[in-house]
Amino acid sequence: MPGHGPGDSGTVPWSGRGARRPNPSHSVPLPQGRLRFAWPGCPAAPLGTRLAVVRLVEPDWTCPFCSLLCDGFALERGAQPPVLHGSDCPRARAGLAAHARHEAPVASIDGIAATADDAIGEAARRLAAWRQPLFGGLGTDMAGARALFRLAARTGAIYDHGDGEALVHGLRALQDRGQCYTTLGEIRARADVIVCAGTQAVAHYPEFFRRCGLEDPATPCRRLVFLGAEPPPGLPDAVPMLHIAGSGDLGADLQQLAALTAGARCRAPDPQLVQLAATLREARYAVLVWEAAMLPAHGALLVELLNRIAAGLNRSTRAATFALGGSDGAYAAQQVFTWLSGLPLRTRAGARGLEHDPVRFASARLLQDEAVDGLLWVWSFAPERLPPTTKLPRVVLGPPGMGPRLRQAEGAQQCVFLPVATPGFNAAGHLFRTDGVVVPLVVARDEGLSGVADIAARLLERLEPVA
Amino acid sequence: MTTRRLRGGRVFDPVHGVDGEVRDVVMRDGRIVACDPREAVDEDIDAAGCIVLAGGIDLHSHIGGGKVNLARLLLPQDHRRGFDALPPPGNALELPSCGHCTPGTLATGYRYAEMGYTSVFEPAMAASNARHAHMEMGDVPIVDHGAYVMLGNDERLLELLAKGTDPQRLRDYVGWVVHATKALGVKVVNPAGISAFKFNQRKLDVDEPHVHWQVTPRQVIATLARAVHELGLAHPLHIHASNLGAAGNIASTLATMEALEGLPGHLTHVQFHCYGTEGPRSFSSAALALAEALERHPNCSIDVGQVLFGQTVTASGDTMRQHVNAGVAHPRKAILADIECDSGCGVLPFRYREQSYVNALQWSIGLELFLQVRDPWRVVLTTDHPNGAPFTSYPHLMRLLMDKPFRDEQLARLHPDVAAQSALKHIARELTLSEIAIMTRAAPARLLGLRDRGHLGEGAAADVAVYREQGDAEAMFTRAAWVFKDGEPVVREGRVVATPVGATHFAQPVFDAGVERLLDDSPLGVHRRYAVIGHDELCACGNGGRLLPSACEARSA
Repeated sequence: MPGHGPGDSGTVPWSGRGARRPNPSHSVPLPQGRLRFAWPGCPAAPLGTRLAVVRLVEPDWTCPFCSLLCDGFALERGAQPPVLHGSDCPRARAGLAAHARHEAPVASIDGIAATADDAIGEAARRLAAWRQPLFGGLGTDMAGARALFRLAARTGAIYDHGDGEALVHGLRALQDRGQCYTTLGEIRARADVIVCAGTQAVAHYPEFFRRCGLEDPATPCRRLVFLGAEPPPGLPDAVPMLHIAGSGDLGADLQQLAALTAGARCRAPDPQLVQLAATLREARYAVLVWEAAMLPAHGALLVELLNRIAAGLNRSTRAATFALGGSDGAYAAQQVFTWLSGLPLRTRAGARGLEHDPVRFASARLLQDEAVDGLLWVWSFAPERLPPTTKLPRVVLGPPGMGPRLRQAEGAQQCVFLPVATPGFNAAGHLFRTDGVVVPLVVARDEGLSGVADIAARLLERLEPVA
Repeated sequence: MTTRRLRGGRVFDPVHGVDGEVRDVVMRDGRIVACDPREAVDEDIDAAGCIVLAGGIDLHSHIGGGKVNLARLLLPQDHRRGFDALPPPGNALELPSCGHCTPGTLATGYRYAEMGYTSVFEPAMAASNARHAHMEMGDVPIVDHGAYVMLGNDERLLELLAKGTDPQRLRDYVGWVVHATKALGVKVVNPAGISAFKFNQRKLDVDEPHVHWQVTPRQVIATLARAVHELGLAHPLHIHASNLGAAGNIASTLATMEALEGLPGHLTHVQFHCYGTEGPRSFSSAALALAEALERHPNCSIDVGQVLFGQTVTASGDTMRQHVNAGVAHPRKAILADIECDSGCGVLPFRYREQSYVNALQWSIGLELFLQVRDPWRVVLTTDHPNGAPFTSYPHLMRLLMDKPFRDEQLARLHPDVAAQSALKHIARELTLSEIAIMTRAAPARLLGLRDRGHLGEGAAADVAVYREQGDAEAMFTRAAWVFKDGEPVVREGRVVATPVGATHFAQPVFDAGVERLLDDSPLGVHRRYAVIGHDELCACGNGGRLLPSACEARSA
């Protein structure tokens, strides 16, 4: 390395499951910005606002528990559960609390504890015997998705994410018409109007408005609009808010808004939508926020309308949409499976080639119709996210805490459980942020657990080679 | 330590002046070695009746970096045949991966290797999405890869320029971005124009100020060219000039060449930047003007970005220009994105038609450029995959360049006005195998500073392509008889026989680390603590492939 600045080693631990991070110490140069002094039991406070300093916690953790992937949080790793500083995000705290207990990583076969090696062998044997496997969940990071694709290709599986119903809204709109989107950095820099359509945004993405920079006195945002959703409490005071209750049918409201922004005449338009259309046309950079999980059935039609509004505005001013979604590895799996094969999730990598069908290959539908004969469920995030109830045999990859829950739940029989690490908690990794930026994840607590990539690779090794 | 001898092939190695002589090529430990013809080797391969070239190098092909993956998502129809799935690979070594103009990364690697290509470079890596680019490239098997990071539309650089920041500081900033993103080179796309579009500016000429920062494209070009030169990056500034695709854009292309002030610059996909305004349709070829300008500017090199007919998709960081073209997308859908205050992305499907005057002229202009620029060392064969055509059409393009009757036959099928008026009719030149070897191997290697690639001299990496000689160049270059990657066979008779992980090329410029003080909390889209991709992380992103850093020797302006 030439003799300059940031070391090329040690920026992020990448050696397999991740080197143990150095003890947070005072010897490391202090980063600028979100530095917090904190001590157990007390809320974090900006540098300089408190005199009694007990412990310095470095803002070096990236939260993996939603697709905002907030970085620059401080985490007291020694505490039980690890204590978060710099944010009171309930989703982050819940994620940490879910992993609070040091559960022993116990593999099991049909509810009976087994060695990891035996369990992998048995899982591979069962996987090979299934004529039409379904890979569900896919709650993993990029490395996990890369390995799972190879396993799916080998076993002829159909694959879908656990939140595939939400994911497919954006996908189908994109496949049909395309999209017009922006990212968090652009919103912070230039969005003067933000419209949350059918979502409070912060109910599921608690840090969203902070990530949009709305708490910053210098924010360019002049108007925050909630259309078809109640404004959440605790909004930043600095930005004027407008609530448009709408008709109760978001699709109809967006249809009308699309017509109004395009300058078409509407019979008896909602005056608030008329005002909103004018606001959008006058905006320098309007952003239309939507949340995949909040859309009704056929939500792709609404996404298409939002993109149409943005595209229409772009004829004379600037506008874009912004999607909240893709948490728990949904975007990671979508992107990785797409680039490897050419086709997105809800595809079968079978003997007839790659068959993609965003409707027919929905995992809930396949399970309900018993169109598959085995389920490989992968969920390396929340241990309580068990595979869907089914009579089919299952191989489950989940955090250690999922094992006891599986055994308690109905049907631990016909189930091989393999414990895996959680990216961003006890493993390093990468995930796609909701706006498409790949964010590196660091280890918060190294417990020596294998990740999904490792287990999937070992399963592949144990499968008989293709004849 | 297997030693392999390719015996009796006609060798084309322009770097060493070898032009079709019959000689042996010997590989050992991943390198080309000198070897006495009488010495016993582990494997003697009969290459009689074949031509032997270094592995192909594509210095401009969108194989990763985000926008092509968006194109894949946009075009499910590119990955099926009507209502049916495309058939699975007939080769057990290949994982399922398909697509015509936006193939999956796996298929991308297989198809490149089958054609004898062994290195491919992604030209448009968004700084904020370098990790994605390295991952996607890492999943392109067999071929080595690297990327050029996009600068010149990042608000940081434009702000520093607007403040009149010292050029050395700007150079250090460029060096830091290259270091952070593990790029091999620097690309500028529509200098300042992508940013200007975010401020609702719809057009930006070379000497027109950015509506917010009041910086001109000329300043951006001059600054970046100087920074790249002084940092000692081997590849000159990679330039996607202003006014992509606009009639009359030859003026801004020539002005861009002037803006380099004599420093090295590589103008990319110049076919799209080579249009005049003559004729009844106010759209004409300016290929000759560009060829003449290249004579006057020995500091400039080009790749062509040839258009070939059929369905493809255009994917560019140039949102300003892609937005203009959204209305002609075929099928009618488009992606437009503003990305992290450093770049943008516009993806439009497009079908180039023989009977379209404009498309036919574009086809002609590309070929005119190949055939009218005299120095093949400054012209690289590209289609700007997938923008002009998918990379799989390279063999067809090679035949067009090497076979005048075939070219005339194609020309006759085009829009009648183009067929009647094209300068191509009067160009008799047919490129030789040696010139093809320069444009697809030796020249790109030299322009990228890859000293041990693109030739077959002793010590070179044993990336070798062997083709069965035949009259039809298209057939010849479609299926290599053998391809060796680092001395190991990866293709035999046009069929993949091994799928090693490719290596990552990246540059290691030296710069003053104090420049980090200029950065905010979230440079490149993530917390500053994680802005820099370390070597271990790069290796993980690249699927465990080798890292091939190239040292940079600082130069004075």
